[in-house]
Amino acid sequence: MKRGLKWDTILRSKLFWAVVAEFLILLVGFIIRPDFLNIQIRTLEDGTRVLFGTPIDILNRSSEITIIAMGMTLVIALGGTDISVGALVAVSGAIALKFLRWDVLEYTTPGDYSVMPFVYVLVVPLVVCTLMGLFNGTLVARLKIQPIIATLILMVAGRGIAQIVTDGKQFTTQYAPFKFIGNGSILGIPLPIIITFVVVAAMVVFVRKTSYGMFVEAVGINPNASRVSGIRSAVIIMIAYVLTGLLSGISGLIYSSRIISNDSNNAGLGYEMDAILAVVLGGTSMTGGKFTLVGTVVGSIIIRTITTLVFYFGIVSEAIMAFKALIIAGVIVLQSEPVRRAIARRREKRHINLGGELHA
Amino acid sequence: MKKILILAVAMVMLLSVSASALTVAFTQIGQESDWRTANTDNIKAAIEAEGWDYVYDDAQQKQENQVKALRNFISQNVDYILFTGVVSTGWDEVLKEVNESEIPLILVDRMPDNMADIQYAAAFGGDFVEEGRRMALWTANYVKKLGRENEELNVVILEGTTGADAASGRQEGITEILADYPNLKVIASQTGNFTRAEGQTVMESFLKAHDKIDVLLAHNDDMALGAIESIKAAGLVPGKDIIIVGCDAPKTAFDAILAGEMNATIECTPLYGPFVVDAIKRLEAGEDLGRNLMHPEESCFDAEGGIVYSLDGRLSEKAADKIGERVY
Repeated sequence: MKRGLKWDTILRSKLFWAVVAEFLILLVGFIIRPDFLNIQIRTLEDGTRVLFGTPIDILNRSSEITIIAMGMTLVIALGGTDISVGALVAVSGAIALKFLRWDVLEYTTPGDYSVMPFVYVLVVPLVVCTLMGLFNGTLVARLKIQPIIATLILMVAGRGIAQIVTDGKQFTTQYAPFKFIGNGSILGIPLPIIITFVVVAAMVVFVRKTSYGMFVEAVGINPNASRVSGIRSAVIIMIAYVLTGLLSGISGLIYSSRIISNDSNNAGLGYEMDAILAVVLGGTSMTGGKFTLVGTVVGSIIIRTITTLVFYFGIVSEAIMAFKALIIAGVIVLQSEPVRRAIARRREKRHINLGGELHA
Repeated sequence: MKKILILAVAMVMLLSVSASALTVAFTQIGQESDWRTANTDNIKAAIEAEGWDYVYDDAQQKQENQVKALRNFISQNVDYILFTGVVSTGWDEVLKEVNESEIPLILVDRMPDNMADIQYAAAFGGDFVEEGRRMALWTANYVKKLGRENEELNVVILEGTTGADAASGRQEGITEILADYPNLKVIASQTGNFTRAEGQTVMESFLKAHDKIDVLLAHNDDMALGAIESIKAAGLVPGKDIIIVGCDAPKTAFDAILAGEMNATIECTPLYGPFVVDAIKRLEAGEDLGRNLMHPEESCFDAEGGIVYSLDGRLSEKAADKIGERVY
C-alpha cells in the first residue's frame, strides 16, 4: 500500500522521466551500434592508463555545463536567470592564458613555462568571475533589475573584457600543470569528471546541510512572504549569483585547459542556454521554488549524450540542429505535466481494477 | 597677427598636401581571430607605407555599423573604399549608394552574394576550392612518399561552419581530388565549426566510432590543433599514427608541424595589403582590373618540404625555414 504511494510520486516527478529519457537515448545508441557503450583501458604515449569510451566522453564533456548549471539551478529556483555565464567562461580563460602566455607576436618558442606563479593562474580568474557574479547579484538583489537584463550587461561586455585582457589575441600554452586540468586523469578517470563530482557534492552538501537550500525555495516560491517572515532574500539571491560566477570561472579554466588556449569569441558560446536547459530538463521549474541539483546533473548529461550521439553516428552537419531539437522536444513532451499525469492515472486505474487501494 | 597669418598659410599648405594624397577607407568586420587581426594590420601598414591617408572603421561584427561606415565614407568623399562584409546579403541599398557616389569599391576577402549586380573596381578573395584541392593533393603525394599508396587509408574530415563559403569550398576541393585516389576513403565528415574545442570533441567521437583512422583533413588549423589533443588522449601519436593536414597556416600550426604533431598546413593568407596597394596604383594609372576575383599568392608548409601540393606542380616549403616570417 505504501509502495503504491511511492510509485505515484515517482511517476509524477520530472527527474524520473529525465532518467528514463537518458536511458532511452542510450538504448537507441546501443541498439544501432552495441559498441556505443564500450569502455576500454588505453595506454597513452607517456605510459598513463586511461578509461576510453563514449560513456566516459559524455561525462567528461558535460563537465563544463554541469558545473555552471549547479549555480544556475539556484538562480532559477529563485525565479531568476543568468545569461552571462558563457561570457564569464571566456573571461576566465582569457585571464589564465594571459598569465601563461606565449606571446605570438614577439615570437619565442611555445612556452612550457608560466610567466606568473601557477597559483595566480588558477586564483585570479576565479576571483574575477566571482566579482562579476557579485556584480550580477547586486544588480538583481539590491537594485531590483530584472535578472535577464542585469546579466545581459556582462553577457555582452564579458567577451569584450576577455578581448581586452588578451589584446584580441589567441595565446597557446604547453604548460603541463595547466594542461592537466582539462586533459589529465587520476586513476584513469579524466580530471574534469573528478572536479565536477567534487563541485556537485559540495553544492549538494551546501544547500541541504545548511538552511540555504530551504531559504532559496522559500524566496523562490514567494519572495514577499519570505521577507516578511525574516529571510534576508537579498543576501540569498546575491549568494546564488556569486556562486554562479565562481562556477563559470571553474568551467572556463577547464574549457581553456582542454584547448590549451583562450578563445574569446567561442569559449562558452551558448552555455547560458545549455545550462538553463540542463536545469529545466532536470526538473526544476523556470517559475522558481523547488529545485533539484541531481536532476540538473541528469539534464546536463542528456544534452551531452545527444551531442555525442550526433558525432558518433555521423549525422550530416546540416541536420545536427534539427536532430538535437527533435530529441529535446521528445524529452520535454515526456516530462510535461499532462503526459506525466496521464501515465500516473493509467497506473491508478490499473490499481483500482486490481482492487488495490487508491492514494491521493 | 603675423603669427596667425603664418599659421593660416601653413594650414592651407597642409590641406593642399593631404588633398593630393589618396584617402583610402576600409570597413572591417571586427576582430574575431588572429587571422583577422593580421589582415587589418597588414592592410593598414601597406596603405600608410604609401603615404596615403587611411580611414578605418571596425564594425564589431554588426552589419548596421558597416552600413553607417559606408555612408560616412561617401560623405567624406574618400578616394577608395575597401569593403569586407560581415554577412553576404543585405548590401544592395548601401552599395548602390556607393556606386552612385562613383567612389571605386574594392571587395576584400568576403564577397557579397549579389556580386553580379554591383560595380566594383577590384575584388580580392581566397580560393577556397583550390585550398581544398591542395589539402587532398598534398596528402595523396605524402602518402606516396611514405610508400603507402597501395594501402587502403581511412580519411576523416573536420568541416568548417556549415554554410560558410570557406567550408563548402574546401570540402568541394577535397572531394574533387580524392575522387582520383580510391585508396583514400572518407569514412566520416562532420562540422567542427572552425573552433578548437569542437574540433577536439568531434575528433574524440570519430576515434570512438572508428577503429582505424589514418588521415585527418581539417578545414582550418584550429580544429586540427584541437583534434591533436583528442588523438593523444586515445593513446595514438598525432602526425605518425594519423596524418594531419590543416588550412590557414598561422604560427601555431607551424609550431605543431615543428613538434611533429601535425604534417602540413595549406596557406590561406590574410596579407592582402600589398595586393590592394598594387591594385589601387594600377587603377590610378587608368587600368581596368576586370570583374574576376583575384587571389593572393599562397603556399603550403610541412616538415620536410618538396611535396607536390597543387595541380600545377608547386612544391611545399619547409615550415622551419618560414616560421620566422610569420606575423600571425
